Amino acid sequence: MLERFHVPEADQIRVPPEALRATVERIFMAVGVPEEDARQGADVLVYADLRGVETHGVSNMLRVYVQQYRTGQLNPTPELHYVIESPSGLVIDGDRGLGLIQCPKVMRLVIEKAREQGVATASIRNLGHTGPIGYHAMLAAQQDMVGLSMTASGSQVLPALAAEPRMGTNPIAVAAPAGERPWLLFDAAMSAIASNKIRIARRLGVPLHPGWVASWTGTPIMEETPVPEDGDFHQLPLGSTRELGAHKGFGLALMVEVLATLLSGSVPRMLDPEVGSRHFLAAFDLAAFTDVERFKQTMDDMLGMLLETKPAPGAERVIYPGVAEAETLAERSKNGIPYHREVIEWFDQVTAELNIERLERL
Amino acid sequence: MLERFHVPAADEVRVPDQALRATVENIFMALGIAADDARQGADVLLYADLRGVESHGVSNMLRVYVNQYREGKLNPRGEFTVLQERPSTAAVDGGGTLGIIQGPKAMRLAIEKARQTGAGIVTLRNVGHTGAVGYHAMLAADQDMIGVSLTAGGVLVAPTFGAAPRLGTNPIAVAAPTGTKPRFLYDAATSVVAANKLVLADRLNVPLHGGWIAGWNGAPIMEDAYLPPRDQYVMLPLGSTREMSSHKGYGLALVNEILCSVLGSAVPAMLDPDSGSKQFLAAYDISAFGDVDRFKASMDEMLETLLQTPTAPGHERVIYPGIAEEEELSRRLRDGIPLHREVIDWFTQVCDELGIPPLEVA
Repeated sequence: MLERFHVPEADQIRVPPEALRATVERIFMAVGVPEEDARQGADVLVYADLRGVETHGVSNMLRVYVQQYRTGQLNPTPELHYVIESPSGLVIDGDRGLGLIQCPKVMRLVIEKAREQGVATASIRNLGHTGPIGYHAMLAAQQDMVGLSMTASGSQVLPALAAEPRMGTNPIAVAAPAGERPWLLFDAAMSAIASNKIRIARRLGVPLHPGWVASWTGTPIMEETPVPEDGDFHQLPLGSTRELGAHKGFGLALMVEVLATLLSGSVPRMLDPEVGSRHFLAAFDLAAFTDVERFKQTMDDMLGMLLETKPAPGAERVIYPGVAEAETLAERSKNGIPYHREVIEWFDQVTAELNIERLERL
Repeated sequence: MLERFHVPAADEVRVPDQALRATVENIFMALGIAADDARQGADVLLYADLRGVESHGVSNMLRVYVNQYREGKLNPRGEFTVLQERPSTAAVDGGGTLGIIQGPKAMRLAIEKARQTGAGIVTLRNVGHTGAVGYHAMLAADQDMIGVSLTAGGVLVAPTFGAAPRLGTNPIAVAAPTGTKPRFLYDAATSVVAANKLVLADRLNVPLHGGWIAGWNGAPIMEDAYLPPRDQYVMLPLGSTREMSSHKGYGLALVNEILCSVLGSAVPAMLDPDSGSKQFLAAYDISAFGDVDRFKASMDEMLETLLQTPTAPGHERVIYPGIAEEEELSRRLRDGIPLHREVIDWFTQVCDELGIPPLEVA
């Protein structure tokens, strides 16, 4: 993440990962989620926070989930319903379950099918938030497959040249195993910036960079700006302006809508504001295409070449998607996960309300 | 395409599409390519020129192909060899002929597999240029499937923060059928602009937009500038700068490299510049996921909603990927294909050299 998004040292409180995991599990169970599902949900959130993906960890998201369970928007005990099944494809209705609990289950089914057929996909409709979708892709990578995970939800991003939002941030994640090197893990919104980053910028009081948002009229704001009030801005697609390729970010977001929403028999949010989030998961079995060891060796050679690329002026090094996350994982596993004190206060409040043990801190 | 790329009316010569098709086929056959393959190659080039995708039509590419066959870099009789396969997958070697000839064959194999199992994926290595990759994706859409066509090839684009090129422009194409609306056809490089757009701008003597390229040291050039000599710039990934999310364009390009090259038992061009192009072709059979007519009706409804979206100030309309190309297609079928007079001169010369009838112009 860019420097501006880091929690300032003075506002940081460190929490041991295992303590966080235990508290998140208890919170899920206290709102009615069965134990095994609670463990899965906690694993996804801890995964994000351990890797420095603060936008999708407990700080931004857990309080939203708790509210959605309490108001009945999310179903704590959903039954996954198979709508249609083919040798390589699945369509599943998620019964308003939380995506970050249900998607890993579906990805495991996809992996089983890919082992037989070489490739398999699932389109899932009617789910809550899916969290850091790189997690789901990574499940396939752990089985020597390439994993793909896409989510369509929300309606806050403008099509290129438009004045009204029509698209979600529609992230795409891809994971692929390597030999010795950190694995490739691409996980990015098809908007110029993830929505949660705007929330973080507001909490930290830092400005938005040119090209991240448009005014309410749809004109890209091309200078630094404080975070505008909700309703006074729209998010821009990746590329920001037409000249810089906004039609590409928009087109990729639309591709996610086709694979996740239309293939699952659902409708996009632009047509139904009440519709739940939709997902597309895929696994490509390496062994169906090539020699697995050769694949990993070539990955290592290529990724090593990228790491050794001479940096541009002012840059320290060249990395690839997955490297920074792997480094943060190592550091946070040792030193604990840093949270803004405001997040810790929320934990104390919610654990008191739910009558469960207080979150342990360092 | 942006206005700056249009051929000026004064330099324009109109050619009927059937005449151009015949001449391109004759050129391919004169180089030793079998009639069926020549027809296939011509069809991909005409597809691009008829849809206004000048960057990938005869103007930029055909002379390159001709030189590559003449110099023996391409094999006119390259075979299509399946290296290994499973019910939903195949890995293919293209025998060193053009990707515009072998890519469609690989997609047809993916379509056959998708018809049986719901999804089909084929990797294709050891081919020359793959042309307008949207063509390959569209073959699947013609069969009521979603088509995906990814290409990796060349070393032109710097990774984020890098001072040397490591990746190709690695385009992504996705096609999906509709009911009555022009079909969804996304086809875009993962660099800010396609490499051929730089060549076009140079030929038309127009400046490049800020954010399209970086200097030789990797620093993004953020103001308008003419194209520097070849060894004095590198291309930038979609996003242009780290703040504007160039790590997303870079990550997508790297994903292409993994799915096309590494999964396809080939070597990325950054490790072997002579390794040719590689492709990844996927087809997802819509009927394996749900009702085809319902899918198309939802597509129409979604695309119409996008077309009806109010525009940002200064813009005429909001469109979606595929619509401008479709409109150009009907115009050019009627009025002929506009080529720069310099391209016509090249045709005259090459037809003469190969001893075939000259290109007929309107």
